[in-house]
Amino acid sequence: MDDISQASHLSVVVDLSPMHWDLSAREAPENTYPLSLASFLSQLLAFLNTHIACRHENTLAVFGAFPGKSIMLYSSSDPVSPSAEMHANAYPPFQAVDSAVVQRITAELDALELRDDEEEAPSALVGALAKALCYVNRITLPPSANSKAQANGFHPGVLPDPRILILSVSPDLATSYIPIMNSIFSAQKLKATIDVCQIYGPNTVFLQQAAHLTGGSYILLERRDALLQYLIMSFLPPPSIRRTLSVPTQEQVDFRAACFCHKNIVDIGFVCSVCLSIFCQPLAVCTTCRTKFPIKTLQRLNAARPLLATATATGNANGRPRVQSGAVLGANGGVGGAVANGAR
Amino acid sequence: MPSLHLSAPVEQKNSPHSLLPFLQSQSQQTLNKLYSRPSSCLSIFRLLAPLQQQIIMNLLWLESTISSSTMAAWVVREEKKNYDAALSPLFRLHILATSPIKLALSATFKTSMRQALTGGGTTGSFGVPAPKDDKYPPMGIDELDGYALERWETILHYMVSSGTGQNSMRPSKDVLFLLQQSGLMANSQGSLQITSAGFQFLLHSPHAQLWDLLLQYLRLAEERNMDLVEVLSFLFMLSTMELGREYSTEGMNSTPQVAATHKAMLNDLRDYGLLWQRKPSSRRFYPTRLATTLTSSSPPLPTSTGPSSGPKEGFIVLETNYRIYAYTDNPLQTAVLNLFVALKYRFPNLVVGSITRDSVKKALSNGISAEQIISYLIAHAHPQMRKNNPLLPVTVQDQIRLWELEKNRLKSQEGYLYTAFTSPADYELVLNYARQLEVVLWENAAKRCFFGSLDGHANIKNFIERRTGGNA
Repeated sequence: MDDISQASHLSVVVDLSPMHWDLSAREAPENTYPLSLASFLSQLLAFLNTHIACRHENTLAVFGAFPGKSIMLYSSSDPVSPSAEMHANAYPPFQAVDSAVVQRITAELDALELRDDEEEAPSALVGALAKALCYVNRITLPPSANSKAQANGFHPGVLPDPRILILSVSPDLATSYIPIMNSIFSAQKLKATIDVCQIYGPNTVFLQQAAHLTGGSYILLERRDALLQYLIMSFLPPPSIRRTLSVPTQEQVDFRAACFCHKNIVDIGFVCSVCLSIFCQPLAVCTTCRTKFPIKTLQRLNAARPLLATATATGNANGRPRVQSGAVLGANGGVGGAVANGAR
Repeated sequence: MPSLHLSAPVEQKNSPHSLLPFLQSQSQQTLNKLYSRPSSCLSIFRLLAPLQQQIIMNLLWLESTISSSTMAAWVVREEKKNYDAALSPLFRLHILATSPIKLALSATFKTSMRQALTGGGTTGSFGVPAPKDDKYPPMGIDELDGYALERWETILHYMVSSGTGQNSMRPSKDVLFLLQQSGLMANSQGSLQITSAGFQFLLHSPHAQLWDLLLQYLRLAEERNMDLVEVLSFLFMLSTMELGREYSTEGMNSTPQVAATHKAMLNDLRDYGLLWQRKPSSRRFYPTRLATTLTSSSPPLPTSTGPSSGPKEGFIVLETNYRIYAYTDNPLQTAVLNLFVALKYRFPNLVVGSITRDSVKKALSNGISAEQIISYLIAHAHPQMRKNNPLLPVTVQDQIRLWELEKNRLKSQEGYLYTAFTSPADYELVLNYARQLEVVLWENAAKRCFFGSLDGHANIKNFIERRTGGNA
């Protein structure tokens, strides 16, 4: 309860993949509730303003994930040069945020149109997330971190509960499994909460895990016409308020991992007993740590594969691939049995 | 971490902002008029507790009303009490429309708050920026800070030095009147003297001091027949303005009466250092940091420590041997320390003194409490001190509290002394009766007398009369 009156920091990562926003904006019958980028932005800006409105000291950073590129759209620590046009009907900080975010997004999207690639690169969501984490790290540690007291978090400028909100529209990108997991672990270390709102498309496995592992909340938006209400009710309250007014949490979390060899999301994988790399099929040599596995083990595991595939998968609560003890053979360097993830 | 939290001044954490009770005492009509301005809504919203803000936000974008039970379903069961406690001030502020089963924001508040967040409308309540002035260069933020600091410290310094008999610069007559009205200073022997409330005021955080004075100002405004809504919304408008930007006084006055109110306020607030004008008749003004941080909770005010006086966080080092080292060259801070510290040496950037029984007793007799001394020391502790856990040496903290207890050694209680009992048996009988009633405060069997409290007297008197009557 002590930190209740302190400022909080919010970093918002916005997925701005034009392709998926186009899909999202299509009218019925494809979408029950079409949501265009423009109406999304106006609701997002209202949400950002609400965050700044709550407290004078609240800080905000906005990151945009464009195809193949991620940039910082706004941050309250190094504000953009104040635009000359200020009018009497709006609160100046709101104007600054709104104009900065809209300008940057328009500029980037225009630049994208000019480029005219035949195929759109996948959205750089992880890059934006990593930048958000770097930013949180920067503001959490005060500049003069040489004194011990400041390192312990006694500095008055330290923000108690940094949060990152990911607004995603693209589906899972299996190639980004490792960077996402790394981001999750650094978020845990920073004690940052990651909230996720999947605005369009199916559930994303990795973002679900990100929210679960950092104590955030994950929402798959169903009524997309009510986006702002969702944002305010679930993602505005800082953790101290969430103890009083509860926010939706996930009943089930999809804990599946992606294999390192083909970047497939696997139900059952094979884990190197030395470095814990995950593969979708038994390998003679681990591609990560070059450990050689006995041929006997490989044969046995290959023989067992169809059997393993039908075996009931057990849940795995800490998100790290777990080696099923029954399937491990040979103390040193057997392909350690199957990972069974996925709580479905 | 825990030591810092434990030690932080309690008043700021739990109790609502000092302006809110004042607003709650206003009529619904006044409040509704106030809520018609987006900037006022935003500022009031900022003063509320986080939980209340969340409740308002949950309701803000709903078109229909929502039943209380639906809303209450979101509340974690153990926190129900906090939730209910958060709701009731919102009803009293008329932000929530009164209805037992439905929850809804008042229509005016809802419209204005939406307008504040989305930016729109034509109310102009966030201040009209002045067009660029070619005649004068714009004021820098440092200059504004310097001005605000100088104004504010003049007031505080005047208060401090009035107690010691030194002469310092006098603030303007209106400020003196306000200080006198608020009971922080009192007229004695032809000159203004600081009162015990004034001493306590000096140890508050700058933010609390500012609001204390402004609250007094608001009360005065009522007496001066100023329109309270206009006064409040002008203050709130100032709080939403941008530091370092020049604003115009034109465009916000609709009637001559309102214009007069604004004119008077510009004059007063200039005296307090909340805004700066090139000359009193100027039609443009700059808000200072004092004004723009009105609705923020932590005080990044320039007053907390002057730009010239060392580290921003704190300057006091207190040792277990009661010695105090204050790294400051600010005369105001030195003067405040002098209230409860026996100062010994003075260097260009350092003041050394020690906390003694006499110095603390002097402070106590001025009406300052031990808690206030301790919280002042904690609030201004040097960053080096913050490594310690607990922050202040326990011996010193306890000793200051013990010195306060010393003052409270005598406790008076009204009552009656019962003497001259004819026999020990009589005495025992009455005493036992009094003991049953639990009204005996003191007894002495050798002298055959005891002292009973006031509320037991009637019973004892009856008892004695019944006994003597029976014997006779």
